[in-house]
Amino acid sequence: MLSRRTLIAHLPVVGLAGSYAIRAFAADKTVTVGINLPFTGADAHDAQLIKEGAMLAFDEANAKGGAGGYKINVTLFDDGTATAGQYDPAQAATNARKMVADDSVVAAIGPQMSGSGKAMAPILSQGNLATVTPSSTNPDITDPKFASTYMPGGKAIYFRTVTTDAFQGPNMANYMADTLKIKSVYILDDSGAYGVGLANAFEAQAKKRGINVMGHDQLDPKEADYTTILTKVKSLNPDALYYGGVGQAGVKVVKQSYDIMPKIIRAGGDGVYGSEILGGAGFPASEGLYATIAAPDLLANPDSDTFIKTFAAKYGEQPENYSITAYDAALVIIDAIERVAKSGKQVDRNSIRDAIQESQAKTLQGAVGFDKNGDITSRVVSVFQITHDPKFPDDDVLHQYKYVGVAPATT
Amino acid sequence: MGWEAVYLQQVINGLSLGAMYALLALGFTLVYGILELINFAHFNVFMISSFIGMIALEMFGLSGQSHILTGFTLAGVMIFAFIVTMFVAGVIGVVIERLALRPLRGIPGTVGMITTIGVSYILFNIILLTKGAGSFNFPNPMPRVAWPIGGAVLELREVLIWAVALVLMIGLHLFVNKTRLGKAMRATAQDAEAARMMGVDVDRVVMAAFFLGSALAGAAALIFGLYYNYTSFIIGYTAGLRAFTAAVLGGIGSITGAMVGGILIGLIEALGGQLIAVRWTDVIIFSILVLVLVFAPSGLLGRANPTKS
Repeated sequence: MLSRRTLIAHLPVVGLAGSYAIRAFAADKTVTVGINLPFTGADAHDAQLIKEGAMLAFDEANAKGGAGGYKINVTLFDDGTATAGQYDPAQAATNARKMVADDSVVAAIGPQMSGSGKAMAPILSQGNLATVTPSSTNPDITDPKFASTYMPGGKAIYFRTVTTDAFQGPNMANYMADTLKIKSVYILDDSGAYGVGLANAFEAQAKKRGINVMGHDQLDPKEADYTTILTKVKSLNPDALYYGGVGQAGVKVVKQSYDIMPKIIRAGGDGVYGSEILGGAGFPASEGLYATIAAPDLLANPDSDTFIKTFAAKYGEQPENYSITAYDAALVIIDAIERVAKSGKQVDRNSIRDAIQESQAKTLQGAVGFDKNGDITSRVVSVFQITHDPKFPDDDVLHQYKYVGVAPATT
Repeated sequence: MGWEAVYLQQVINGLSLGAMYALLALGFTLVYGILELINFAHFNVFMISSFIGMIALEMFGLSGQSHILTGFTLAGVMIFAFIVTMFVAGVIGVVIERLALRPLRGIPGTVGMITTIGVSYILFNIILLTKGAGSFNFPNPMPRVAWPIGGAVLELREVLIWAVALVLMIGLHLFVNKTRLGKAMRATAQDAEAARMMGVDVDRVVMAAFFLGSALAGAAALIFGLYYNYTSFIIGYTAGLRAFTAAVLGGIGSITGAMVGGILIGLIEALGGQLIAVRWTDVIIFSILVLVLVFAPSGLLGRANPTKS
């Protein structure tokens, strides 16, 4: 029956800083979920893969008649700008204000980047609008120490379906000390909120583990030339290079470090896990790069098989792990809407936030629950290594990043 | 690596950067010398040219760094790519001048300069909207040939950069000093009115300046792509600003000054990064710019008295 179905168009990527809404038709009750991701700039393709993961969950829910009888509309917000060439915290703040101002928005997904998250969290907190991020890992945003900055409204509104860099950085330092037997390292970051936080967390634990940190310098992500700093690194001859940051500088670090030091062990966080690195740096430059994600290797989980097949059939490309954490984030929101609707309470952003806080939603990574700050209770960090498989496209994340194990937590 | 090798390597890095900045700085200086106009569109003529260079190389089925060519095939492909990129870039420069700047000629003030900022954004958005905002893997068919010097490494691509930059700069020098059009350019730079009265076709001279400047930006862009194996819609900003600084440092309007300024900025960037930290690179470069402007407003090799008062 047509009236039971929602007409979901395949969403085009939104233009500069615009937003695009799909309207469910003939639905009695609707709620809106905002999705904020950098659809413009260096991380646009990975943002697209995250959006598609979330959309899959909402489409499935709407096809079954909605969540607790509510049709879910999605409004897209683009926090990437042409001038930044990647995510832009100023645009993210504007988008957060737009979401808060629109009463039909009951929850949000995003942002992808912690730099945007730091700009959005205070605004969302004052509006008491919960967001579930599938990939933003900077620990400050949910740290009670900074509650007056990021949580002025008093309640947790920044929920994550990934863990934070408080684990991602240090656990990788443990992995490098234990498994890769690294004795010395040089650290670079991209001057962004995420990159600096990750690199600092890594550095602190590396020092504790007795790894000789030979230096830590910051890159300008818009700069093209990193040969100067990489020549300096080469002259110090460390065992490894650790990079905290996202794709814009990451592509050039990967490429130029291969030119200057083809043998050095290179590692980074989830900022270098994605199609941007594979496509931009290519092979052989990206071969051998270690990257972590702040989640279990969900793609390898047999429960994800159906998801991967449906995703590939619908969007014509392979998902990445953060497509799944986005799918999970959407499931968390759908579950919250269902529970509120069943309880008979009014479905609004206050009741949804409270429901997300109490979440035990069944997702592809198992039951997802949050602590009182909004952080996921599971704290698994997975390590991948790029190993070229010429049978698949060069920028196919699923097949070019090989899972090599779990980065051990600090004990 | 001993410290001598490190510094030798940084000088090699700096010279390569400097050669690119110098080629780009020449475009600013040529146009400024004749029109006293700072052409901000030049930033993105450089950027758009790197995409033209990429398309030219892809016409041969090249992609990434795994297709390696050698001998005459390599030389042929390279010469073709340079000619195509430089020619198309030159035409873009001429079109910008003809459509956006000639109608404004003679209007005093900053109208022309602000128009070039607008044109710059148009070029920027053309690439953003057609090619997207990702980083592109620029094809490089050159084999990885490297010569060890002490502990430092000199690569084929660096030799190529220096050779191309040197040939183009010598060519430009000969053109400006030995040809009739070059003479007309120098005359126009000194005094456009007097040149016109002496029968110089000023429009043609201006067009030539835009063509040459943009073609050199095209060469710089192709070199950039081959050196970094990377391009993106945002590369114009940093490189353009550094090159502009180089032109001012050397003395804007002076061709030798642009070359010297470019090399100096490249060396400052590489050695500053080595001695202090790369996060301070911009601070160092722009502090030097401020000092030069305060103590020698016409730059290192600039003309002491402006041509027009």
